Amino acid sequence: MRLRGSLAIWLRDMLVLRRNIASEMVAVVAYPLTIYLAFGIGMKGYIGLVDGVPYGMFIAPGLITMTAVNAAYSESVWSLWFHRRVQFTIESYRVTPISVAEIVIAKIFSGFSHGLIKGLVVGLVIFAITPFRFPPSHLLIYLSFLVPGSAFFSCAGVICGTIMDKPETIGRVEAVFIMPLIFMSGLFFPLSSYPAAIIPWVRMLPTTALFEGARQALVNGSFLYGFAIQVGGTALLTFCAAVWIFRRKMAE
Amino acid sequence: MISAIQTQSLAKQYGSLLALSEFTLDVARGSIFGLLGPNGAGKTTLIRILTTLMRQTSGEAFIEGLDTRNQGREIRRLIGVVPQENSLDRYLTARENLELHARLHGMESKRYRKRIDELLELMGLAGRQKDFPDTYSGGMQRRLVVTRALLHEPKLLFLDEPTTGLDPQSRRAVWDYIRSIAGDMTIFLTTHYLEEAEQLCDRIAIMDHGRLIALGSTQELKDRLTGGTVYEIVFGAGAEHYAVILRGMACVLGIQVAGQTVSVGLERWECLSEVIAALNGAEVRRISLKERTLEDVFISLTGTGVRE
Ligand SMILES: Nc1ncnc2c1ncn2[C@@H]1O[C@H](COP(=O)(O)OP(=O)(O)O)[C@@H](O)[C@H]1O
Ligand SMILES: [Mg+2]
Repeated sequence: MRLRGSLAIWLRDMLVLRRNIASEMVAVVAYPLTIYLAFGIGMKGYIGLVDGVPYGMFIAPGLITMTAVNAAYSESVWSLWFHRRVQFTIESYRVTPISVAEIVIAKIFSGFSHGLIKGLVVGLVIFAITPFRFPPSHLLIYLSFLVPGSAFFSCAGVICGTIMDKPETIGRVEAVFIMPLIFMSGLFFPLSSYPAAIIPWVRMLPTTALFEGARQALVNGSFLYGFAIQVGGTALLTFCAAVWIFRRKMAE
Repeated sequence: MISAIQTQSLAKQYGSLLALSEFTLDVARGSIFGLLGPNGAGKTTLIRILTTLMRQTSGEAFIEGLDTRNQGREIRRLIGVVPQENSLDRYLTARENLELHARLHGMESKRYRKRIDELLELMGLAGRQKDFPDTYSGGMQRRLVVTRALLHEPKLLFLDEPTTGLDPQSRRAVWDYIRSIAGDMTIFLTTHYLEEAEQLCDRIAIMDHGRLIALGSTQELKDRLTGGTVYEIVFGAGAEHYAVILRGMACVLGIQVAGQTVSVGLERWECLSEVIAALNGAEVRRISLKERTLEDVFISLTGTGVRE
């Protein structure tokens, strides 16, 4: 399969990101930083150690992960919707000799790139304002969760942006589905806080595997194979689903 | 010779709505072909099928002999498309819009840079190439979309309502550009402006409610009107008297009298000399040919004017 078209569209998206990088980053950093300052520093004295580490350190990996996956999802869902419904740019791509698959793959990679870049920026900011230091090997293991996690959310965004025609619906899905999923996955508290009967169900969520796995990787340097496979597998599945759904939508 | 566009009993159904039906058409290479029809006639539907954006429900369509159902990529290499809604990227400058399109067509950067320079110059957009399209006037945006469609030197150019929403002056400017770029390209345009079809097109198809209702050159379509050619004769006096004489002539199809003005419908223009002979001695102030417009054709075919 040729990916020339994907490359051209992905480069377009990266050009636009570069052009707005300053304003984008202010917006991206503001949210996790507020949470971090409020909980990690403001509540530090009340919370103490969680799972054996200071609370600020406990939530830092989750905040980076949250930023990355949220950015990946948002970029994909809004970009797909905007280019399909507002600008009709997808249509202008579709009358050139590239395939529909090349278009959707480009969009998935763009969302993924947004996620990774924004996650890393927030990581750098948290690194700059806290005394916590993680060894490079922990970072590498952490990336093995962040990369498929961002890919998974980007694909989910592409799916939603393909099937939803109204911006209200997109906003609702984000509020009712995406954010709760992220918050429930042990971003602010350890899984052990859940009632024992619920824990197995929560563990089945791909977001739990992502957030728990990512935290364990960054804080302890441990690689949880089960979680890694779960996140990677989910990313692969949603990738196939996204390509399939987009192609079907375009064939209508 | 292979036709530029050929359709055979093409049909498209949206749910219960038949937007296109039994549509059979042949467009010769190198012509400017106009598809004229009111809003909702099915023009965009036809263009979307021909440009491989949408699949037909039944029937066949071929672009340069290639089947729209399974040779999409090959077709898209040959065509340029100006959609009804401008599909410019407002986050890219005019030039970047063009560069992206060129890359999607797999053009080498050396080749597309030169081509973009030439086309921007030709379209009068060179000075504004670094601006974003939403700072452009409607006419300039349209020209930019046309430029984009021409970049890869298509053999066939599709224009879906190229001038809808433009003021008369910009409209004329777009017509001039279209004429100047035509060359040996086949141009297929849709419009609901009769004047546009008449001014630009070698051949015209008239459609309504998804069906093709007439096809031919402007002249052929006008000739089809019943009543043949109509002349207006203005008398100084005695119009009534001569009207009676003319009405009795074999080649006169119809007569209308309004004061001293008599409209005479002739079967063929050759009958004119007979009419003039019959008017010998009359006080004739003026004889003029009453031009039939495409609007007359349209009304006679559809029973109504063009719905705006
Ligand atoms: N995607 C669609 N779904 C349902 N109906 C449609 C769709 N697109 C067009 N139509 C209907 O099909 C008919 C033809 O539309 P269209 O091809 O856009 O006409 P035109 O371009 O001549 O104005 C109209 O009645 C329109 O409402
Ligand atoms: Mg239309």
